[in-house]
Amino acid sequence: MTGGRRVAITGISGHWGGELASLLARDERVEYVVGIDTRPPPGDLGDVDFIEADLRSAVISRLLPPTEIDTLVHCGILWYPEPGKPTRSLHDFNVIGTLQLLAACERTPTIDRVVMRGSAAIYGCEGAAPLFFTEELAGNMPLRTRFQRDVSELEGYFENFSRRHPQISSCMLRFQPEVGADLDAPMVRYLSLPAVPTQLGYDPRLQLLDADDATSALEAAVWSDIRGPVNIAPSGAVSLSRILRMGGRPSIPIPHPLFGPAVERFGAGFGAGPLVNDAVRLLRFGRGVDNARMRREMGFEPKRDAVEAVRELMRRLDGRRVGPPLHPGALLGRLAGSGR
Amino acid sequence: MNGGEERPRVGVTGEDSEALARFLREVRQGVEAGVDPVTAAGDAAGSLPSVVRNAIETILRRLRGEYSEDEWGFDEDFAEAVFPLFRFLYEVWWRVDVTGVRNVPAHGRGLLVANHAGSLFPFDASMMTMAVMREHPLPRWPRFMVLDWAFVLPFLSSFMRRVGGVPASPHNATALLERDELVMVFPEGVKGTGKPFSERYRLQRFGRGGFVEVALRTRSPIVPVAVVGSEEIYPKLADSPALARAIGAPFLPITPTFPLLGPLGLVPLPSKWRIEFCEEIDISEHPPEAADDRGLVFDISEQVRETIQAKIYENLVARGGAFI
Repeated sequence: MTGGRRVAITGISGHWGGELASLLARDERVEYVVGIDTRPPPGDLGDVDFIEADLRSAVISRLLPPTEIDTLVHCGILWYPEPGKPTRSLHDFNVIGTLQLLAACERTPTIDRVVMRGSAAIYGCEGAAPLFFTEELAGNMPLRTRFQRDVSELEGYFENFSRRHPQISSCMLRFQPEVGADLDAPMVRYLSLPAVPTQLGYDPRLQLLDADDATSALEAAVWSDIRGPVNIAPSGAVSLSRILRMGGRPSIPIPHPLFGPAVERFGAGFGAGPLVNDAVRLLRFGRGVDNARMRREMGFEPKRDAVEAVRELMRRLDGRRVGPPLHPGALLGRLAGSGR
Repeated sequence: MNGGEERPRVGVTGEDSEALARFLREVRQGVEAGVDPVTAAGDAAGSLPSVVRNAIETILRRLRGEYSEDEWGFDEDFAEAVFPLFRFLYEVWWRVDVTGVRNVPAHGRGLLVANHAGSLFPFDASMMTMAVMREHPLPRWPRFMVLDWAFVLPFLSSFMRRVGGVPASPHNATALLERDELVMVFPEGVKGTGKPFSERYRLQRFGRGGFVEVALRTRSPIVPVAVVGSEEIYPKLADSPALARAIGAPFLPITPTFPLLGPLGLVPLPSKWRIEFCEEIDISEHPPEAADDRGLVFDISEQVRETIQAKIYENLVARGGAFI
C-alpha cells in the first residue's frame, strides 16, 4: 500500500465511533477515515468523511466498495438506545445492520481487516456461571434477554464471514459495560443516583471498563492482527455493594421483579432514565470474563483495573452529586472525627 | 488479593467501660452546652479507648468500600465476622475432632476431596474450613465448590460467595488452583447430600472424575478428607419431589424436625464430628495431558474414593455413639 490505512467506521455518531474516528484522523499511519451513520456526528471529529446511510438497508453494499477502504470498524452494535435509535429498533440495528454490513464487506475486495465492537453479553448472565469466562465458553449458558440473543446471532454471522474469508483478518471484541464520567450511558446514570436501587438479596460481581481504556482497546484492535473473539475487560471484579460504598451511595434494596420499574420511576426524577432489560439482569447476577487473550495476544493492558475504574468514576461523579451525602459512612465519619 | 490486613479486635474490659461512660458524659455535657449531638460526639471521640476508635475506623473503612474483597467475591472481613458462629458450631455444637491437618499443604495449590452429607444444608465445607483455620500451623482460607443452585437464590448466593464459595464447575476449580488456592470439592455432589439416612456413610459415585482431570491439568496434589458426623445433622427420612420441583431445588428432604417444627427444624442435630485429612495422593508423575486418559482418571478417582471410604469406617468406630 502506498499511503496509510483507509478506515471506515460505522456508528460514528455514537460515542465510540466518534472517539475512534478523531483518534485515527490524527494518526499519520491513517490516510483516510470515513464515518457511516444515520445522522451526522454531533461534534467536530477532524478530517473525517461522512456517509449518511442506514445499515439496515442494502444501500450500504453500493456505498462501501467505492471508498476503497482496507479496514472496517463496526461500532454499530448497541446495548442501549441512542438518539435516532430507539429501544424497539435496536434488534434491527444490531442484527440486520451487522448482516448487511458483512454483505457489503464481501463486495469490497480492498478490505483486509475487520474489527467488530461486540459485547460480552454473549456469555449470558447466570448465577451459576463460571466466574471468569474465557472466549471459548460462549454458548455454554442460556441466553435470556433480547440483547444476549442478538449478540449471539450476529456473532454467528460474523463467524461464518471469517470462515469464508480467511484472507481478511477479522476479530470480534466482547466488551464488558463501560463507565466514565463523560459517558452518557444508562449504567453511568444509574450509578450517579444519590441513592441507588439494588435487587434485594443479590450482589452482582461486575467488571466495569473505564471509558478511556475502552477507546484505547478499540484502537489497539485496529492495529493488531488478532483474529476471532477477544474479551475486553478490566482485570479483577468488584461487587455492586462495594461499588456503592466506594461512591458513598446508600442502596435501596428492592425485590427483583420490581427493580426495573423502580429504577425507571426513581431515576426519572434525577434524569437517569430506565435501564435496558439486559442491564437489569446484569445487575442481578453479574458477569466476569477472563481478559488474558486481550493482554497476552492482543498486547493491550488497560490502565485501570476493575477497582480503579470504579474509584475514578466515583471521584469524578462526586463533583456532580445531587443532594447531600446520605451514606452512613459519611455520617459515622463525622461522629468519629475522621470524616471526609 | 490484598487480604491479610491487620484488623483490630474489639473487646470491652472494665477500663473500657469506664472510658465509654466518660465518652457518654462528655457527649451529654456538649449537648447541654448547646452543641448538636453529632458534633458533640465527634469532640468527645478523643476520650474513647483505642479499641473502640479502631473498631469505628474498621467500620468506616468498610463503609468507604476499602476492604479485602477479591475478584472471586471472597470477602475476608466478612468471613472473619461470621467466624464466631461457625466456631460455636465447631467447638460446642459438634465438638469436632481433627486428625492429620498437617497433610493440608501450607502454601501453593491443593485439592481437598471429601465426602458430602447433610441433606438440608451441608456444613461439611464450613467445618473443614474451621479445621484448617484453627488447627493448621499456617491457617489459610480454603475456597469451596458449591451446588450451582445456591447461586441462583437471593441472600444465600452472596453469602456463599463472600465466605469463599464458587459455583461448582471445572472452569472455576481450574482457575482457582492456577492461582495457587486451596480448593475443596465434593465429587458426590447432590447424590451425597440427597441420599436417605439409611444409606449414611456409604459413598456415592464420584461423578465422572472431573476433579481428577482438574488436578492432573493443574498438577495439584489431592488430599482425601473423611468427614464423620455430617450425616446425622439432618437425617433425611423422606423426600418431597413435587415440592422440590415447585421451588426448583434438586431435592427437598423431610427430616424428623423439618418441616414439622418450621424454622426450628433448621437447627441441626448436635452429632459428634470427626474430620480426618489423609495423606496426599501424589499425581505429579503424570503430565497434564494425562487428564484425557479416561482409564487413569477413573483409577485415581477410585483410589481417592476408597481411601475416603476406609477412613470413614475407621473414624466411625473411633467416634462411638453418634451424639454423645
